[in-house]
Amino acid sequence: MPVREEILERLNSATKSQNVDRPAKPTLSEITLNREQMIQRFESELSGRTGVLYQAGDKEDALRILLDIITAEGLKSFVASSEKIHGVDIASLGSKNGLSVTIPKDLADRDSLRDAAFAADAGITSADFAVAETGTLGLIFNHNHPRLLSIAPPLHIAIMSVKDLYPVYENVMEIVFKDTKKIPSQFSFITGPSATSDIQGIEFKGMHGPKKVFVIMIMQE
Amino acid sequence: MHSHVNKFIETAREELKNEPSQMFLLMVSLGAPILRQIGMSSFPDIAAAESYSRAIRADVIARLPELLEEFEKNAKARGAKVLWAQNAAEANNIILDIANRGDVSYVMKGKSMITEEIGLNDHLIKNGVEVFETDLGEVITQNLNLHPFHLVGPAINVPPEKISEVFLKKGLIKKASTDPVELGGGARKYLRDKFRNLQMGIVGVNMAVAETGTIINVENEGNIRLIKSSPKTLVAIMSLEKVVPTIKDAIYMTRMLTRNCTGQKITSYVSMDTGPKKPDEQDGPKELFIIILDNGRSEIYRDFKTREILKCIRCGACLNTCPVYTKIGGYPYGATYCGPVGQVLTPMLAGIESTADLYRACTLCGMCKQICPAGIDHPSLLLSYRARQIAIKNQKGKKTMQSRGENAMAGLISLGMSHGWLWNFGLKITRPLMNSLAKDGYIGNIPMGAQGWFGCRDLRAIPSKTFHETWNDLPSLPEPSGNASKKEDS
Repeated sequence: MPVREEILERLNSATKSQNVDRPAKPTLSEITLNREQMIQRFESELSGRTGVLYQAGDKEDALRILLDIITAEGLKSFVASSEKIHGVDIASLGSKNGLSVTIPKDLADRDSLRDAAFAADAGITSADFAVAETGTLGLIFNHNHPRLLSIAPPLHIAIMSVKDLYPVYENVMEIVFKDTKKIPSQFSFITGPSATSDIQGIEFKGMHGPKKVFVIMIMQE
Repeated sequence: MHSHVNKFIETAREELKNEPSQMFLLMVSLGAPILRQIGMSSFPDIAAAESYSRAIRADVIARLPELLEEFEKNAKARGAKVLWAQNAAEANNIILDIANRGDVSYVMKGKSMITEEIGLNDHLIKNGVEVFETDLGEVITQNLNLHPFHLVGPAINVPPEKISEVFLKKGLIKKASTDPVELGGGARKYLRDKFRNLQMGIVGVNMAVAETGTIINVENEGNIRLIKSSPKTLVAIMSLEKVVPTIKDAIYMTRMLTRNCTGQKITSYVSMDTGPKKPDEQDGPKELFIIILDNGRSEIYRDFKTREILKCIRCGACLNTCPVYTKIGGYPYGATYCGPVGQVLTPMLAGIESTADLYRACTLCGMCKQICPAGIDHPSLLLSYRARQIAIKNQKGKKTMQSRGENAMAGLISLGMSHGWLWNFGLKITRPLMNSLAKDGYIGNIPMGAQGWFGCRDLRAIPSKTFHETWNDLPSLPEPSGNASKKEDS
């Protein structure tokens, strides 16, 4: 008998456990948050993880904030998920300020994408969702948005719209996993920078992924 | 799995004298439960939250075969290749074969207990495939050749001086340092090129979602996300109980997992992969292999009693509250899994006969059961293992126990306990002798044997009257008065 059938046969031949009647799913206190409270909660949770939230009035404001971050951090080279993210023109920002901006679409293959992502000072990406519950970003990865941009560079700047801010994870999961035929090959929740406490329980940021995470939330598009 | 369970007592004695281990264990036993409590306090009703996660795991166990088939069907429909492995050898060979097909000179691994359990590293290295651990804790245990000290922080007890020494020798750092940030930075730098050029990655699985065929990894360091993004081939290996019914169950369990594990409300990354990358995507695995490993679990499942071990989600909360673990640390358990989870799981994987020290090293205080977000009753399992060991007969068909003396003692006690008059008779005969050894009302030792028993406890001196005698000597109680109240009571 093939291995699969043998294993399933053993499991199926076991005495059945009683069917489980689940208790009612406990309600989370976050689901009643209004927009203001959600923003507040998102910011306090994110900053608790050393992430920084900037609220941008519109896309021009976002561009100005982005340039401030770039100057303050002394960044020179970027990989960006597209030329324009939520209307913020990354490509022209780069050419105007003499910064190197690489767009994955222009890259030939996996190797050149990997070279670019590991060499860049920062990855600039869109964030498809944000969750107030824990200051978490939700990113859908697809042909427009490679996975490495938000994990390989030492800095991650995410640009998002306040419209995509939800109280709890379930709100987001419902959207992403709704149509079983359209589930992305990868969906990730990201909360602050990469971290570890593996030596002596002492925590520090930037183990293998970004050391810093910035979120620019556009309030009006 | 290089098991050295047989050295439990010896290793425990050494660890009790090991200062860094003791200091760290003190920190864990004080700090971890507080962090967990802070994390849990975001729930309006903590007890309800725990009941719900326990119900999810009970549901998984009740429907395990059906959920596995559903997961397989959906993962395949999304383009993943699902392979089944009976045991460690089969799983190791499947992974080696995948590595040997192409230009894979090395692989990188995300933190996974299961690959530790099957001894994957050794198998790959022996067959010419280099393996790099990527979780900082596992980079350290791999280089120092150590067992995990803790489920979550496998090298958390290792002094920085020791890490510095081995990192220096292996070229991870240029000059000696005891700063965790510099040591971690050394590992980051050392592994970065390897991540960039990686051809094949291996990860474990925290949850496999039946409804969608999705695999979920929960981590802080980002190594698993890099391994799931950079190479063209990805192997995810899971033991068969990792499945959960729905994507909403998965995210609910994630909440419970991280709070019970590190006290975090969420880890830095929770990544959910459904099939390999799409043809037009530039990164992510072109091929995704999911290995469903049995390695003794289906037999554990067939046993109605032991089945509930499979509820475990490997959060490690039981370690942090266990009065035994928090004294002796992870090494004495001698295997991949330590603390209460190791005590219930290892005897089932390695055999009841060779692991007696594990299920006997328990005070039955019940903290593990109380804290477990998966709803495992560890003490009752340990009691059942003890009973099973006693029931195992030796080759001559006689019951085997620790020694002839213990056997004789147990026989005598069992005889007395099944005949009340004999028990009282025995007591009366031995009372003067026993009580002559008592000091301040306690017997601290008796000559000839039972040294082990008295090693850590005393026996109360035998009272001059039995319970029945005391009872009979009581002045008779007044009749209950007031018939009306009697009626109300009934």
